[in-house]
Amino acid sequence: MTSVAERDGKAGQMTRRTPLAARRDLDWIGIPLVAAVGLAAYWLLPDDLALLTRIAASALFVLSLDLVLGYGGIATLGQAAMFGTGAYAAGIVAVNWNNDPFAMLAVGGLAGGLIALVTGALILHARGLTLLMLTIAVGQIVQEVANKARDWTGGSDGLSGIDPAPVLGLFRFDMFGRTSYLFALAVLVVGLLVARRIVRSPFGLACRGVKEDPLRISAIGGSPKSYLVVLYGVAGVFAGVAGALTAVTSGIVGLDSAGFPWSAEALVMLVLGGTGRLYGAVIGTAAFMGIHHILAASDPFHWMGFIGLFLIGIVLFLPGGIASGVERLGGLLRGKGDGA
Amino acid sequence: MTKLLEVEGLSKNFGGLQVSSDISMTLNAGDRCALIGPNGAGKTTFVNLVTGVIPPSAGTIRLDGRDITRLSAAERVRLGLIRSFQVARLFKSMTVREHLELAVLQRDRRTFRLFANVAKVAGLADEVAGLLDTMGLTQVAHTAVGSLAYGQQRLLEIALALAMKPKVLILDEPAAGVPHSESQRILDAIDRLPKDLAVLMIEHDMDLVFRFARTIVVLAQGRLLCSGTAKEIVADPRVREVYLGSRANAH
Repeated sequence: MTSVAERDGKAGQMTRRTPLAARRDLDWIGIPLVAAVGLAAYWLLPDDLALLTRIAASALFVLSLDLVLGYGGIATLGQAAMFGTGAYAAGIVAVNWNNDPFAMLAVGGLAGGLIALVTGALILHARGLTLLMLTIAVGQIVQEVANKARDWTGGSDGLSGIDPAPVLGLFRFDMFGRTSYLFALAVLVVGLLVARRIVRSPFGLACRGVKEDPLRISAIGGSPKSYLVVLYGVAGVFAGVAGALTAVTSGIVGLDSAGFPWSAEALVMLVLGGTGRLYGAVIGTAAFMGIHHILAASDPFHWMGFIGLFLIGIVLFLPGGIASGVERLGGLLRGKGDGA
Repeated sequence: MTKLLEVEGLSKNFGGLQVSSDISMTLNAGDRCALIGPNGAGKTTFVNLVTGVIPPSAGTIRLDGRDITRLSAAERVRLGLIRSFQVARLFKSMTVREHLELAVLQRDRRTFRLFANVAKVAGLADEVAGLLDTMGLTQVAHTAVGSLAYGQQRLLEIALALAMKPKVLILDEPAAGVPHSESQRILDAIDRLPKDLAVLMIEHDMDLVFRFARTIVVLAQGRLLCSGTAKEIVADPRVREVYLGSRANAH
């Protein structure tokens, strides 16, 4: 009997520091690092600004998925429903009424949040595979509505003619995509800061509890479903803003922005980067889209296969995603530093 | 004496099987009561009925004078009827401190604050520090629960229940799985619970029962067999018969 207690005691001491501590360190430098690397890329890769812009906007979308999956445990393959809704809402507003980029983001966020709250309230009583199916269904419905409402959305031709006004009336969206990229990067960094604030709030703490054990949350007097619905709504705002950001920076919204492949791709990028860390979403998106870009240029026929191999490798050797590898490395360095 | 928990004629049938029949009992403020009974006596069913995990077939439950028979488990918790679990049921990746923060925030209904910082919520840090101190968990405050010794997990279970400021606290085998040498620490922790709290402990270990309880309720085959002070229960021939009888059957 005492041996059990001893063993437990030792285990407690051993696991006390490294993983949590390394994670906390990265929490501090993660967001400034994204900003710094993002700015460095602006100088170093001036010919790839279009790709970098897409990465920044997509990272915000993957971040929204990390909020629902990584912090709420909601398995979804329909996150693009919120992205698409936000993109179309922002695009329609820009074409018809107001093309201020911040107004577009606000409208996109509002639309994404609303659709998430409404559909979340309807489907989040379900779990596992059933929930997965329902999220896919929501995505398909949004896509079909966009397809049928041709007068507003352009249907299968896509919504074009989005011409955003200069940012703050000062910075024009130039043909080289400089303003687009810096705008997208700024929105991503602000998104990361807001997301970090939320996951560290009392609400974020409760959501982590729901993810681990919803019944235990009920046993301390909470309602798991209401946490999940609100979280889904908040993530919907992020996804909607990401969609609007894409509309602002690309000037076009297509049906694929609400499609199933986009939801699935976001999930792949998140798993690649690592869930439940926020910056994992950025790492995963940059890795996936960066590799895609390089491989698609050098070997346009087999790039998907390479991405697949890469993904299998990550899942086998770094089940926590690339971010967990970085954390382990940080833990090792820290361990050495302590020893010396 | 305030009656905190009043159970009247509580019954539960699963189809034709009657697992609880006509159980009545009262807990007053300050009570330290143990619920005992041989295996299959219906102790767990009784706890599940009282806490609202399963609905009763008949009977009423009142908490502090209010009828809670139709309320959900979460609603009963919010009114102050709190239980701990037989097998420590905690959030494995959260630290000890985060558990207590969550319980206190949930109790005060501050969990829908999306932009507040947990570290800066007024009064929270002090209250959590007090709870950690009461249960002797200050040393492990920042340890993830998954790597905590089992005895400490049980202490955290009690701390969690305490964080919710219960009126009635139901402890379901609080020392189950803890080495006998360490069960005293659990009892010490229970001793430090607020005096005006009504505590009902479900327990197998008679040694623990006699160290804790001032009154004892005995269940057998889904019925209330008898209740009284510890001395009365020891002397009661029916209790011996139930326990010895069930043991004789088991062998």
